[in-house]
Parts: sequence; structure tokens; C-alpha cells
Amino acid sequence: MEVTIDQYTSPQRQSRVAIGIILIKFLRMTIRSFWPILLSFFIGGRNNDSFGTIIGYIALGFAAFNLIGSVLTYFRFYFHIEDGAFIIDKGILKRTKTNIPFERIQTINFKQNILHQIFGVVSLEIDTAGAKKSELTIDALKKEDAEALRSFILKEKAQIESPETSSESVDIEENEEVILHLSVPDLFKVGISQNHLKSMGILFAFVFSTLNEVTEDVPELIAEELSGYDQIMNTGWVMFLASVIIVGIISFMYSLTTTVLGNYDLKLSIKQGGLKLVKGLLNREEISVNKKKVQVVSWSDNPIRMMFKMFTLQIEQASSAEADQLKSKIKVPGSYQTQVDSVVKAVFPEEFYRPETKHRVSKLLKYRLFFFIGLIPTVIGGGISYYYIEWQALYFLIWGLFIWLSISAYYRKRTYEVNDEFLKNNRGTFGHIYELTQLYKVQSVQIKQSWYQRRKRIATMVLSNAAGSVKVPFISIEEAEALESFILYRVENDRREWM
Amino acid sequence: MNETFQNLSVNPDELPSVKTADFNHIEKGYLKVSLISSGVFFLILLIGAFCLIFFNDDIEGTTMVYSITLGSIALLWLLNIIVTIKAFPKKQYAIRERDIIYTKGLLWWERTSIPFNRIQHAELKQGPVDRMFKLHSLKIFTAGGQSSDLVIPGLNEETASRLKEFVLGKTAMDGSDN
Repeated sequence: MEVTIDQYTSPQRQSRVAIGIILIKFLRMTIRSFWPILLSFFIGGRNNDSFGTIIGYIALGFAAFNLIGSVLTYFRFYFHIEDGAFIIDKGILKRTKTNIPFERIQTINFKQNILHQIFGVVSLEIDTAGAKKSELTIDALKKEDAEALRSFILKEKAQIESPETSSESVDIEENEEVILHLSVPDLFKVGISQNHLKSMGILFAFVFSTLNEVTEDVPELIAEELSGYDQIMNTGWVMFLASVIIVGIISFMYSLTTTVLGNYDLKLSIKQGGLKLVKGLLNREEISVNKKKVQVVSWSDNPIRMMFKMFTLQIEQASSAEADQLKSKIKVPGSYQTQVDSVVKAVFPEEFYRPETKHRVSKLLKYRLFFFIGLIPTVIGGGISYYYIEWQALYFLIWGLFIWLSISAYYRKRTYEVNDEFLKNNRGTFGHIYELTQLYKVQSVQIKQSWYQRRKRIATMVLSNAAGSVKVPFISIEEAEALESFILYRVENDRREWM
Repeated sequence: MNETFQNLSVNPDELPSVKTADFNHIEKGYLKVSLISSGVFFLILLIGAFCLIFFNDDIEGTTMVYSITLGSIALLWLLNIIVTIKAFPKKQYAIRERDIIYTKGLLWWERTSIPFNRIQHAELKQGPVDRMFKLHSLKIFTAGGQSSDLVIPGLNEETASRLKEFVLGKTAMDGSDN
């Protein structure tokens, strides 16, 4: 291994495959920003007017530009290691030299799209703390080289951060224990139990934005398209049902496919200092999670997933920029309870992970929620529509009833548990959501009271940490203040690293 | 004795309560700053609304129209003034041995506590209106998003820089003594 590291002390180019990968990346970028023009060229091409030909030449020019650009990018991209820092020197017209000291590197992740997989290379993403643009990418490196590079950097980093730790603790990091390997049947169970309503929303958004790019007048286009179907439309319910079924099937297929592609051969393993996640078919990703940076572990299910006894596990890490917060959440769909437990025990101190007394929140939360989401809309909606549809307005009572039942279900589950190390939130309406956070990682404790809450002597508590916040609503003010002093005490007396 | 949390190793009742910390009011001048800032905002709104009715041919500039639009804006302004004045005494801060606390809000009251060993960085800020009254705001940053950042407004020059030095000194100390 020493040999491979030595070679990085002098400026290096990426693997040759990088040219192709950069080219594809460039092409995708160009097509993404110019595809309406390209499309209009293909459609307009039939008319054979000169405008179309000009655009054709422009497109060709872009293709050539991309090709030259990617070759130049490849030859003008160097990286090497020098004095405990990773250095990237790149740029054709504007040359930039980036110098990242090892101690600022947070994680190094691998990504592989289908091309990477064919040629056995990986793209390397280096996450750094602090800066807004906190990421550097090397498009293609041989897998073995990338791995050697990563373990070298992480080892050096560990040495710099805590010189007193002997090297033995760093050396055993190769030991990995796989705790979750998503089998094909499990993968399909996950796909089936996805939130299909969400994918329906994504599909609708995609269809509309695409239509928007092609034509200016979406409503007009739809009206025009539909006007031909007047006859069929008149059959009302049949048409409605049919479209619901079609949209349902498409959304179902969509979420099933994206799940299978995204989580194919998912492997979650415990290693020294944290977790490692590998997943994906076409785009294969490898993500490392540093144990001390984990702020919240949550797991949730929905009615279908409940039948399979599966949870979606989510690990939230500390992140510097607001925009990174979505990215620093790692999702593992299809974990069973035992696997959730072993992940929690791997990242958090396991002796404190145990069931505690469940504290309920105030019943007023239930009434308050029902008042705002249930009662007011029912009364206003029913009242207004009474003028138009008279007694049929009573249908609005169904809304009220539905909300009452959902809120009751929500309230029944809404509890929290606390001990010396953790705060655990239990909630969920149709499914369950459990959030577990370490108290000493909290960085601000907030007690909030609205005018109504103050009269009833209750309060809402918000605990913020480096990944977001955890909320406990509607508890008595005495409880909130006790928690406030206790959590502050825990934070202020803990000397462990918190991110 | 606290009945609710018996599983904790320390009884929360025996810990120093945040509520009873030594709270300081911010400078009275800051009330004027808030009133002037919102005054400028409402004045622009009033002028804008007036111009909109005056120069727009489609809206008939009757006394009725003027009094309804301008009156409602003025009413909101009045409401804002009352709430600002009433809420001002709620703006208080306290420094304890290991954390900094700030409370604010009349209708929506809140109290935020940030331990010194979780503070990343602190800075002083001064807006244009602040400058007229020689006031500063202390901004405290924690890691991660802006959700847990804290701003204490209305501090005079001396208090502000003393507080900042204190907080930064504490942060450096509490972060390292292990």
C-alpha cells in the first residue's frame, strides 16, 4: 500500500476513463439546459426552414465544444497530497488551485454510475466543513486507488486530530460487519410499500414542467386535448375511475422502479468509527457516516410497511450549510426492528438505549389541533356551501369526523421518553415515527409559549442540534423547565465531541 | 421532588433553574430603534398605497377608498406600535456560568438558551438606525443551519463588546478544558 500512496505525492491525472465520463457529464448538462431548442429542431426539421438548420449547426457546435472541453478538462486536472493536505489544480481558462487540509475533510464518498461500473472506476466526493461550496469531485479513479487514497487520508486525519491515540485503534478500521443487506424480496416489499401519493406528485410536477418548457399555454393545451373527448367525458364516473386507476398504476410502477434502482443490493455495515452504506444499480453510491457526527436517528413506517414489519431508517448528520442538510440525511428503507436496534447501538452508547417511561403531552394539543384543522374548516366550508347545495353541505361533517379520528390516532401515539443520554420522540398519524437524539449534542434549548399556552400553563420545547431540531409540544411548563435545566446541565458537563 | 422524571441521575429541581437567572433588560433606546424601523416601513406602505390610488385611473379616488385603505394600514401601524411597546420589556438576556439566555415575545413568548461550549462564533452588528442611537446587536452562531442562531439586539457599545469578548473567551475555554 505504501507504493500507491507514494505515487500521490506528485501531481496526478485521473484515470483515462475520466475523459469519457466527463464528456457524458458535459453532454447531459448541455442537453438539460438546451433540450427545448433541440426538440424544436427535431420537430421543426420537417419544415426544412433555414432557422432549423442554423439551430442544427449550433447544436453541432455545442457537441464539438463539449468534446474539446472534456478532453481539456481531463488534461488540466491534477491532484496530489502535500504536507497533510489534498491539493487539486484544475481549470482551462480560469485556473484554480484548491488546498484542503486533511483535518477539514469530513467524509469521502464514492459514487458510480453505469459507466463507472463498466470500467471499474469510482468518482470521489470530498466533503469539507465550513465553506459554502463544501464539495470537491474527482470524476474517475481506479477503485483500488480510490480506496487506498481514502484510507490514507482518513488515517492521517485521525493522527492529526488526536496524536495521542496510538495507531492500533486506527488500524483495525478494515473490520466491517454487515448488519443489513437488502435481499430482492425485501427490495420489492420496500417498493410496494413506498408512499405512492408522493410519486404521483412528483410525476405531476414533472409532466407539467415539461409541458411548460414546450408550450407557453398549458391550460389551453389541456383544454384542446380534452375537447376531443367530450363524448367520453360525459360518461363521468367511468372516465374518472379509469384515470384514477391509470395514474395509480403509473405512480406505483414509478415508485417501485426508483426504489429498486436506487436501493438495489443495499448494504449497511458497521466499521470503526461509524457506518458505511453502499447501494444502487445504475448509480452505485458509497456513503460513510462518522459516528460522532450523527445527531438524530429516526425510523418510521406506514400502514403497508407495518404489515411487513419494516421501517425506513434515517440517519441525520451534522452539516455546515443549510443546503447540505438534505444531503446529509441517509435513508435506509426496509430495515427490521433488530437492524434498527443494531444501528442505534453502533452509533450511540448502547447501555442507555432502552425503553423508558412514556410521558404524554397535554390533551389540549388534541383539542387545539382539531379546532384549527377540523372544526374551523368544517364550519366555514359547510356554512358557505349551505347557500349553494343546502343540506348536502352536511358532507363536510365527514371532514370533521376524519380529522377527529386522525388527530385522536396522532395524540394516542404522541409521547416522549427521556433518560440521561437520550430524548426519544414517538409520534405518527397513520404510521409511526420514532426520533432518537443524544442530549449532549443539543446546541440550543428553546421554550416557546403562545398566548393561549401561557394561559393554560403549558409550553413547547425545541431542541436544536447541528442537523436540525427535535420538538416536544404541549407539555406542562414545569416539565419543560425541568427538561430545560437538565438538558443544559447535560450539555455543559459533557466533554465528548459533538460533531 | 420532581415526580415526572425519576429515571434521571440528577433531579432537575436541584439544578439551577434558568427562570431564576439574573436577567438584564436591553437598552431603552432600542425601543425607539424598533419604532423607527417599523415606522419607516409603514410610511412607505402608506405612500405606496396613496400613489397607487392617486395615479391609477381604474380606481376612483373617493374619500371612501382613501379612508378604507389608508385607515387599515394606519390601524395596523397603531397595533404594531402597541405590541412593540408592550413586548419590549420581554426582551431580556442573562449570562450564567456556562450559557447565555435570551427571552422575547409578547403573544409568542420564547426563551432560548445556548451553552458556551456549543457556540461556534460571535459577532457584533449595527444597522443604520442602530447607529443613530449607538446600539449594537450581538449575533451568536452555532453549527448547522440558522435554526439555532441567536441575536441579542439593543446593547450599548461597551456592554456589547464586553459580552462578545466574554462569550468568545468562554467558548474557547469550555470547548477545550477536558
